[in-house]
Parts: sequence; structure tokens; C-alpha cells
Amino acid sequence: MSTSLYGVIALVETAIGLLLMARLAAGPTISDRIVALNTLSTQATLSVLFFAAFADRTIYLDVALWLASFSYLGAIVWARYLERGLL
Amino acid sequence: MKTIVFLVLASIGLAFSLSGAVGILRMPDLYSRIQCSSKTVTMGALPALVALVVGEGIDSTYASRALLVAVLLLIVSPTASHALARAAYKSGVPMWDGAVRDEVVERKAQEKAKEQEQQKAKERARQPGGGGEG
Repeated sequence: MSTSLYGVIALVETAIGLLLMARLAAGPTISDRIVALNTLSTQATLSVLFFAAFADRTIYLDVALWLASFSYLGAIVWARYLERGLL
Repeated sequence: MKTIVFLVLASIGLAFSLSGAVGILRMPDLYSRIQCSSKTVTMGALPALVALVVGEGIDSTYASRALLVAVLLLIVSPTASHALARAAYKSGVPMWDGAVRDEVVERKAQEKAKEQEQQKAKERARQPGGGGEG
């Protein structure tokens, strides 16, 4: 598999993330921003994974794993805060 | 052969990610946006991860981490979407003007009517027997 293809995929995922930033900036409620941020973190995870394959550095895979696990934990904590008003 | 499978899976993933992002930008209210966001994970992220597994070979470091991320996303993403939608509804985020029904309100009204009917039946049962109410 040619590695430049991985780079192209990482770039496209980053572009989709940039598209989501418009909703992150404009969302009328906090929940809108949280949804946009969640999707953005998924795109960032994919982008980092493909960039790791592109640059041939396995150490970047840990970044992707961390992003995937902690961003969703963050979303759950935000939901709890919105529902009960305390953390 | 491997390249074709990789390209097909990657393009499916990218297409769904893009359409999910467009949906999040263009949908009219929060609940529709949450729906788009969860489609982005199940049909957008998973095929892309499987494409990475196919491209690098199943016994590589990338494949094991990609599968780990896939399992993690499959477990945690629906949970987070559910919690977010519930919290948003409870904190009073408005629905779209064109939304046709709100099942939570209907269910609550039904339960209230049922409770009132039960109370009335109880009072009716009490009245002919004793009649000793304050």
C-alpha cells in the first residue's frame, strides 16, 4: 500500500474536521457545541491514525487511542453537568 | 485486490464522514444533529479503520490499535449520544418548529390521567361505606 494514500486520507479527515468547526463556533446551545466537538474528536482520531501510517511512526497511535477514549468520557461528563447542574 | 478493498472501504468511510459533517452543519435542531453525529461514527469511522487494517495487514501494530479504537468507539459513542440527548431534553433545548410529536410529553400526560382516574376510583370506593372524611 502506498503511504501517500494514507496522507491524502488524513488530510481529507482534517478538512471534514474544519467543516465541523463552523458548527462549533456557531452552535446556538452548549449541547450543539458538545455534539460538534464529539464528532470533531472522532475525525481527529482517524486523522492521527492515518497520519501515523503515513509517517510510519507507531508512537502516534497512542495519541489516537487517548483521543478516542477521553473525548467521549468528556462528553459524558458534560451531559451529566447539563442534566444535574453539578459535576 | 488489497488496494481495491482498501479504496472501497476508505471511500465509504470518507463519504459518510463528509455527509455526517454536512448534516451537523445543516440540520435544523439539536436532536437531528445528534443523529447525524452517531451515523458519522458507525458508518464513517469504522470502515476507515477496517481500511487501515486491510492496508497494513492484520498482524501489524497499526491494525491492532485500529481495532482497539474501533471497539472503543462502538461501545462508548452510543452511550455518549444517548446521555447527551437526554441531558439536552431535560435542560430544555427546544425542538424544531416542524417536529410533529413529542412522545415524552404524551407519555407523561397519559400517566397523569391514569393516576387521577385511580384516585377518583379510590374516593368513590370510600364514600358509600364510611362517609367520615374531615
